Amino acid sequence: MRRILAQARKELTQITRDRLALALALLLPILLLLLLSNSISLTVSDLPLIVQDLDSTPASRNYIDAFRSSVTFHVVAWPPDRQPEQAMQGGVARGVLIIPAHFGRDLARGQTAPVQLLIDATDANTAKLVNGYAGQINRAFIEDQTSSNATGMVQAQIRLWFNPGRDSKKFYAPGIFVLGISMFPPLLASLAMAKEGEQKTILQVYVSSISAHEFLLGKILAFMTIAMAEWLFGLIVMITVFGLHLTGDPTVLVVATIVYAFCVSTFGTMIGAAIPNQAAAIQAVALGGFLLVFLLSGLIYPVENIPPGLRWVSNIVWGRYYIAVVRDALLQGGGWPAMWFDVLMIAAIGSVFYTIAWRNMRYMQVKA
Amino acid sequence: MNGNSSQMPGFWQRLQALIRKEFNQIRRDRRLAISLIVPPIAQLLLFGFALDSTVSNLRLGLLDESKTPESRELAATFTESKSFKFGGYFFDGKALENAISRGQVDAGLVIPYDFARDLHRGRTTTIQFLLNAVNANNAAIGQGYAEGVLLSYNQSLGAHGIRPEIRLISADNSRKGSVSLTPAFLFNPGLVTTWFIVTGTLGTLLVLNGSLVASTAMIKERERGTVEQLLMTPAGTTEIIIAKILPIFILLLGMVIIAMTMVRFVFQVPFRGSFLLVFVGAALCVLCGIGIGTFIATFTRSAQQAQLLSFFVNPPLATLSGSLSPIEAMPKWLQPFTVVNPIRHFGLITRGVMVKGSGLLDVLPNILALIAFAFVLVSLSVWRFRNQLG
Repeated sequence: MRRILAQARKELTQITRDRLALALALLLPILLLLLLSNSISLTVSDLPLIVQDLDSTPASRNYIDAFRSSVTFHVVAWPPDRQPEQAMQGGVARGVLIIPAHFGRDLARGQTAPVQLLIDATDANTAKLVNGYAGQINRAFIEDQTSSNATGMVQAQIRLWFNPGRDSKKFYAPGIFVLGISMFPPLLASLAMAKEGEQKTILQVYVSSISAHEFLLGKILAFMTIAMAEWLFGLIVMITVFGLHLTGDPTVLVVATIVYAFCVSTFGTMIGAAIPNQAAAIQAVALGGFLLVFLLSGLIYPVENIPPGLRWVSNIVWGRYYIAVVRDALLQGGGWPAMWFDVLMIAAIGSVFYTIAWRNMRYMQVKA
Repeated sequence: MNGNSSQMPGFWQRLQALIRKEFNQIRRDRRLAISLIVPPIAQLLLFGFALDSTVSNLRLGLLDESKTPESRELAATFTESKSFKFGGYFFDGKALENAISRGQVDAGLVIPYDFARDLHRGRTTTIQFLLNAVNANNAAIGQGYAEGVLLSYNQSLGAHGIRPEIRLISADNSRKGSVSLTPAFLFNPGLVTTWFIVTGTLGTLLVLNGSLVASTAMIKERERGTVEQLLMTPAGTTEIIIAKILPIFILLLGMVIIAMTMVRFVFQVPFRGSFLLVFVGAALCVLCGIGIGTFIATFTRSAQQAQLLSFFVNPPLATLSGSLSPIEAMPKWLQPFTVVNPIRHFGLITRGVMVKGSGLLDVLPNILALIAFAFVLVSLSVWRFRNQLG
């Protein structure tokens, strides 16, 4: 045990002496969390909308006002004699609302007046959102105008649970937070390990009395400390800046975090042990820590949307399970009954990494 | 004039020799060649296939307290749509609540016991629709779907309701004027999400890979200590730098063509506008990437340091570009920063020209911005590099 602690202390001392590494370990995850959580959002607002009013009656102007007063759109001017498609090609507008002549007359007669909404669907997700919002504005207008529930006899009371403001930061911040923890501790761990191989200081380890287990655990412990420090800072940022708070049983999060810190540190150590070249090790960690966790973990879009041929990979992406745990702990509060499997999977993947790293070390020791 | 023309052959000869040397070096360095082609292609495929925002088949838990043909009809209208699929029956509110918070179902539909009775009496009845809004995007789209499904159910009540008496009552209700909003999805009527992701990712890959390749190539001579040998040759510093940049640029253009072919044929993005326009934009984007890479290289002593430094530069470049999520969704104070990002401008060019068929006039501001960035970045890095060599 003493040897493990000594090894961990040596690693931490080395990191605190390297300013670039220290910034990577503590500063960058927080910067990333603030930047990415703010910039990754799919809920658009203030989309430029062109209105072509061919009716010009009080009724049509009322209808336009309903759109004008929404947060989603802002109405921009466009000469009525030019094709609206041109505005979209030039990026002036993302949608066009066309109100035909006789709109006011139809409405006054109690008929259904048709209105067309052209949506720039280059971004399909935004197009769907715009369609949904426009529908809501339209229904609100009808209810307001005819002062009745013209939408029909069945009314829906829609309740949005866990995130009623549909604040996308609350959804993405936990994911980005996990991305930071999945990237920087293993990056530093792999660099430290690859450096031992590159500079042949590993030979000194071989001739010392420390065993492979003690050596590995010492390294892993050091980077677990860094991961936990990042976790703590990140959690403070999420609670203070993004207004998230712990819901449900906090032991799930704590246990999962310790296991996950072990998992990512071991991943880095394993890569470093397998690739004794710092530049190549960085690329390997960037691939595993960043690309897999960013793309195949449900961070932005649900895992179910990945085509089946690629989806099975996400079952072994460790970040996927931890993202689920963090989101649950901060938003849903499902606790152990909902999350035990995820914690177990993180532990399983972590031990696989550890076994591989250990086998690698044993092999190297025999060779030396 | 005469003095110039007598110098010119020397300049070109020296440059040619240097370029030949660089090409030979790249040819022999298999890792550089591989890192030029394989990661961008793999990333393009991965991003294109893995990022899909389609919201469909949300699991819907049912709590039907009415248990009448009318309520089953409503439930069927929901589960028969592509947006929702049946996620199980629940018999009390608590069970449904637990299922939502454990993530077993994404949404819940609660039909009250007096649902059918109210309909028969011609009264408005209210159902409850619960949505797990942890994923804000899914919730917004799911809400839109639910409202759409309900709208069509209400219309079917008016037109060919299950019971004639309901039809009569609801027909009376719909006598008042109404507005039907008909959406039309231009440029991408099938709402294929990959078009957005792929066209955005293309620029990110060009800039990030361009900068990575450039910084490794620039730093290599210094790492191996061969810079002094280069400086002893009759070539000037400008020639050395041009000879370094040009081969990388040409090779990266090859990568651009491969990537654009994939965008066209693997992801089936339509090419409605001019191919040349996108290619010019891509070339400028690559130049920006080379400029960024060279700039990073001037601050570092080893390839490993350059890679670590790029961790500070790349994430902001990639996220503040609108390549993965729309710029309009960013907070207002953050949006102006995207204007100085080459990836943003290239994204507007690819999306405009490829998907919408925009012409040169439409994307002229973006092309000009890219030219300005490429000029500034390349000359800045060349200036710093020259200072270091001299």
